[in-house]
Amino acid sequence: MSTTLSTNDAKAKQALGEALKRPVEDLDDRILLNDLVAESFALIETVINIQEDLNIRLVQEDLRVVKTVGDLVRVCSQRLG
Amino acid sequence: MISENERWILSFYRTSEISGSLFFGRLAKSLKAGPIQHDMTKHYADEAMHAWYWTDCLNKLGVEPLELGNAYQDQYLAAAGMPVNIMEILAITQVFERRVINQYAVHSRAAGVHELVKSTIDRIVEDEKWHIKWIRDALNKMESEYGKSTIDDTVERFLQADREVYAKTVREHEERIRELFPK
Repeated sequence: MSTTLSTNDAKAKQALGEALKRPVEDLDDRILLNDLVAESFALIETVINIQEDLNIRLVQEDLRVVKTVGDLVRVCSQRLG
Repeated sequence: MISENERWILSFYRTSEISGSLFFGRLAKSLKAGPIQHDMTKHYADEAMHAWYWTDCLNKLGVEPLELGNAYQDQYLAAAGMPVNIMEILAITQVFERRVINQYAVHSRAAGVHELVKSTIDRIVEDEKWHIKWIRDALNKMESEYGKSTIDDTVERFLQADREVYAKTVREHEERIRELFPK
């Protein structure tokens, strides 16, 4: 897990932690999202939760490359600008 | 009493309504306050009531609901990929709701449908018409944010997935469907 997070990365990871009801410290960037959220509809709910929380919109292209916690944090952080 | 195939299809409807309700309930909890949250909360409540109507209908017909595995809409994700934002969720829902209304219309017109089944369908279809309307209105309002062509393309992507899932479902349950809805 990276030790220095940009402000946007930190916000995105915080939103993910809240969506999953897990402490941010447990969300190592290398963890596969499928291991955290096994059920597809729960993953949709998580992704929507993050977008609502951060007031961003993700599109298909964003999620095409997302496999891990770090990937999701990165695309959300980029959308934060 | 009803046949095993009728029991199966009414249980299939019930399972689908439960899945829809659980999904929209979770989303309604996540969304920020506003018109979409408002209408999605009613949509969630309607689907839960529909599941109850089918449960009650089955019981009144003298049988218990069958415990079925995946709901129809569970297969959408495999066919079309995961919806990634609220516009895509509304698009996939609109496609699904159209399928539901068509299926209920086919069932309602079939020969020998029990009056209780017919009245349950009629009751549900009234809500389904509103579901299609609120989603269509919400998608129209989203055109400024997402673009009309993006929304149209998304609906088309899910329509294609729906056609695949429907054809697969019909293939898998060919015998039951032939008995229930002979051409």
